[in-house]
Amino acid sequence: MASNHLTGIGSESKQLATWYFTFAIILFGAQLLFGLVAAIQYVMPGFLFELLDFSVARMIHINALVVWMVFAMFGSVYWLLPDETGIETVGIKIGKLLYWVFVAAIVVVVLVYLIVQVGPADEMSIWFIHEGREYIEAPRWADWGIVVVALGFVANLFMTGIKGKQTGIVTVLMADMLAFAGLYLAGMFFTDNISVDQYWWWWVIHLWVEATWEVFVGALAAYALITIIGAKRQVVEMWLWIEVAMLFGSGILGMGHHYFWIGTPEYWWEIGALFSALEPLPLVAMFIHVLYDWGKETGLQMAEGAEGHAIAGHTITNKPAFTWIVLNAFGNFLGAGIWGFFHTLPQVNLYTHGTQFTSAHGHLAFFGAYATILIGMMYLAIQGTNGIKVLKHTKSSIAGIWMIAGGVMGMGIALTIAGYVQVLVSRAQMGATWAGYFDGQSGMWFSQAMDWRLIMGVVTFLGFAFLIKDFLSTGKNPVHER
Amino acid sequence: MIEEVAMRQDILLDDFLPLFVSSSLVLVFGGFYVGIYTAVKVNLLKKWTMPLAYIFWMLASYCLYLMGSLMHVGDFTAKALVVAAIGLLLLPHAVYYMQHHVHEENEH
Repeated sequence: MASNHLTGIGSESKQLATWYFTFAIILFGAQLLFGLVAAIQYVMPGFLFELLDFSVARMIHINALVVWMVFAMFGSVYWLLPDETGIETVGIKIGKLLYWVFVAAIVVVVLVYLIVQVGPADEMSIWFIHEGREYIEAPRWADWGIVVVALGFVANLFMTGIKGKQTGIVTVLMADMLAFAGLYLAGMFFTDNISVDQYWWWWVIHLWVEATWEVFVGALAAYALITIIGAKRQVVEMWLWIEVAMLFGSGILGMGHHYFWIGTPEYWWEIGALFSALEPLPLVAMFIHVLYDWGKETGLQMAEGAEGHAIAGHTITNKPAFTWIVLNAFGNFLGAGIWGFFHTLPQVNLYTHGTQFTSAHGHLAFFGAYATILIGMMYLAIQGTNGIKVLKHTKSSIAGIWMIAGGVMGMGIALTIAGYVQVLVSRAQMGATWAGYFDGQSGMWFSQAMDWRLIMGVVTFLGFAFLIKDFLSTGKNPVHER
Repeated sequence: MIEEVAMRQDILLDDFLPLFVSSSLVLVFGGFYVGIYTAVKVNLLKKWTMPLAYIFWMLASYCLYLMGSLMHVGDFTAKALVVAAIGLLLLPHAVYYMQHHVHEENEH
């Protein structure tokens, strides 16, 4: 039975979506906790020494980030499919089975990361502990498990998309998710040559986030704008296709900025420079898109003399979700655009590569471009499962937004200052030497930046606690219109 | 024989801060440009503010020029930056034209 976003009850696809969101939020919490451990270890290097070393805490911090977002993305698709296609998701029983397989695999992988941590440099470690490849460390058995789950998910999406109504959003998602699943394969094999190995590794790391994930965000934003403010589907979908073209146009060859220093031919400098310079344009365009749709609807409300959300069809039906979507437009522009652009050209990247600038960009971009919109989708699911017509802001939702966004921004600024010290001291003055590395790390500005990063990490975690409180109390909160 | 070094000139120590600030301002000013342009077009801002949008585009372009100079970019990258500046100028016009066109088609 199909349903709409306000009545998620009765749809098995939407029920499965809430399962995905629930596990995603648990992993989000784990990501923040292990991030705090790693941040404490920068300030107090002996913290949890030989129990949970920095390398393990950092690995779980980043892996949990990637996996919670993948869970939330799958959840988002299962949530919107019945609305978009007009039918219940095909093969939902397999979808539910694969969900439990996915959860079990992740739990086992994390337990092995925590308890076993490292092994000898042999095939056994690669198959059963971890592969040792940054960001995609999952052991090989889990890699194949992820492939099976992803293929099952893509099959569900395709069968539903083909059988039901084929909207632009679903069509884009079908193409995008095929690329999303396919690109993971590029990170599953080793070659003896480290340059060749890194070359393929970037196909997952870069093409996932700067091509397929960004397109996914475009599709989610389109769905959210139609759902939350009643934006016109024709306008939103027309724009979605342009975004797809721009993102793939600049994103695929923009990957050249990762090929500057790994031993690939020098023509990648020109290719990387050109397409990296163009990469902010689709992000600027996405920003205009949200502003345009929001402005049109607001202008219409003002013209019709409406106050607040009085006119049906022009109502902001979910204020926390809408706030997170707007934050997404700004955050994507800020984190991926500004923080990406200022160290992406080869002339400056020679100095910034591998410093805390990268970390600042990573924090701000993942939060701004992805976490924001996925939290927005979670709010849509909470609204649907509780049968709420208009979901309003609460003190907890506002505190969650301010503290999470402020905390991540604070971390980004602190890490930028630390990166700037590294650029000046470790790279420019001391020529990327061993001594230069340690001189850069021991300076007052670097140390204080790391203190502030930790403080802002705590603020982010407190904001997360408010977010959870709001999620859990929404069902019984009388402030929302039912 | 000494191989030709592709990146000849180092960035001066004092140039790093203006370099990072100017490259950030490219997108900040660029954001103001597209933001004001779009806001005027959808009647969120008054029409007289439109010239401000173009002033911000000029500032963004100047920052792009400054950034390129401080980095000592080569000919090819310089051309790429000019393309990016022109792309930024045209972008909101193209987006607005297309969005508005589709809106009109669906309202009439």
